[in-house]
Amino acid sequence: MIMRVDSDTLVLGIETSCDETAAALVMGGTDVISSVVSSQIDLHARFGGVVPEVAGRAHLEQITPVVREAIADAGVDPRRINAVACTVGPGLIGALLVGVSAAKALALAWEVPFVGVNHLEAHLYSAFLEDDSLEFPLVVLLVSGGHTLLIEMSDHGRYRLLGGTIDDAAGEAFDKVARYLDLGYPGGPAIDRAATEGDPEAIRFPRAMSDGGLDFSFSGLKTAVVNHVRRHPDVDSRDVAASFQAAVVDVLVDKARLAAERVGATGIVLGGGVAANSALRRDLTAVGEADGRRVFLPGREMCTDNAAMIAAAGWHRLRDDGPSPLDLGAVPSMPILES
Amino acid sequence: MLILGIETATESVGVALGGRDGVLASVAIARGRRHGETVAPAVQFACQHAGVELRDLDAVAVDIGPGLFTGMRVGIATAKALAMALDIPVVPVTSLEVLAEAAESYRGLVVPVVDARKGEVFWSMHRSDEGGVTALGEPSIGGVDDLVAALGERGQHALCLGDGAHRHATALRDGADCALSSERHPSADVLVAIAVRRALREEWMSADLVAPLYLRRPDAEINWETREVRA
Repeated sequence: MIMRVDSDTLVLGIETSCDETAAALVMGGTDVISSVVSSQIDLHARFGGVVPEVAGRAHLEQITPVVREAIADAGVDPRRINAVACTVGPGLIGALLVGVSAAKALALAWEVPFVGVNHLEAHLYSAFLEDDSLEFPLVVLLVSGGHTLLIEMSDHGRYRLLGGTIDDAAGEAFDKVARYLDLGYPGGPAIDRAATEGDPEAIRFPRAMSDGGLDFSFSGLKTAVVNHVRRHPDVDSRDVAASFQAAVVDVLVDKARLAAERVGATGIVLGGGVAANSALRRDLTAVGEADGRRVFLPGREMCTDNAAMIAAAGWHRLRDDGPSPLDLGAVPSMPILES
Repeated sequence: MLILGIETATESVGVALGGRDGVLASVAIARGRRHGETVAPAVQFACQHAGVELRDLDAVAVDIGPGLFTGMRVGIATAKALAMALDIPVVPVTSLEVLAEAAESYRGLVVPVVDARKGEVFWSMHRSDEGGVTALGEPSIGGVDDLVAALGERGQHALCLGDGAHRHATALRDGADCALSSERHPSADVLVAIAVRRALREEWMSADLVAPLYLRRPDAEINWETREVRA
């Protein structure tokens, strides 16, 4: 199927890799016409984390209403849609398969191409939805509940892994510490809220692996938080949250800065759920200004899982690599580096 | 009347096209690649080679289970999305109904048994006579012992079929008055045949309303409630 992919190409994106059922219409890879996200947070909250079978069931209930709503919000005739893009991994297999199956069926019914998208790659496209005047190379800092990655992006679709976490992902550390401090679920926004009323310098938590390497480690920090609270039961949890957050953000920002220097990056791109964290946004922006590097921050609603970023990444994949075969399966542990 | 049937409730995948005059095309893979990789190409293949355009369909039929959760959802998501995009209704049929219908030429008690894993089975009881195959009750889930007990209560020779009956063949034969049919998996051809009859009576629904028949809650929810009781 040969098609021209340009600024008039309208892509429907679908995302069901974890606990959000999402659909969006994006024109030309950057122009978000509609974006609908149905969150399952309430369904998983009592379990303190995402339950795969609960997620799979909810995705199946939501998939057609969410796609319908995205099309209705956009006010377009479905026949105007030129391609259907969908997350194929990484993520929960039972969750991914709902979106992938629906996306292929829509592509078949509308006789348009199907494009499989890497969820991690899509996260960095969420930063480009606002500003797509890119100059490579770029350094991407991808931080979520499942990933903490530093990636060199030398062109669209060209990635090199610079560093990753050797234990917990940053977002996972936020969740665990929030649960320990009884601040609520999900942990990222809960810590962020509590931290605004706390003193980030109240407790000096360790900045792990600040030894010139580009890998991360957050499990020691989590233990340090637990030990501190045990020794000081009367400590203000807002101070603990603020000090913990400061330690995470310091490490993330320092390593991103170091990575950018090493590869001579023109800018730093932030992506993933933790990209919504206000301290991380503030400090990364400050470092960018100090070093004369551009910092691409996704809009806050685009940090968490959404389908606009899937449609945007799908547009690039379609332009550069063409459609995906219909027998493409879901890939639960898909790495970002495919080539 | 033209119907596409999608069958993914057990290990096998089936896609069939048919109408009042029977099946036009049928693709069946008893065991092979994963459902998510097989269904869409099978739909495309069946349509291409039967000379059918998807837009000519009047309805999509789908097996809503009970069966393997992840596999079921592949078929149901596919059916819902096709129906939504084509603006046509969905005819939901259970895996047990499809299996039972395969024994339509048999006369007597028909008991489809689908493997539910974890030592359990899904089953239901049907009467097959000149008037067709009629369900005698609601689908059930339980251990093989429960099924054997249910067969004993009925006190009638039974024809058992389905992958659950084959997995637990010895226990069934030893414990109950029954014979085993060779049918292991629900067939998309039979699914379409049932769906055509229902579609003629307009027994169908909007894609958004189609829901799987799980018959078992997620383990996490069961564990959670057990914990609540203990606490």
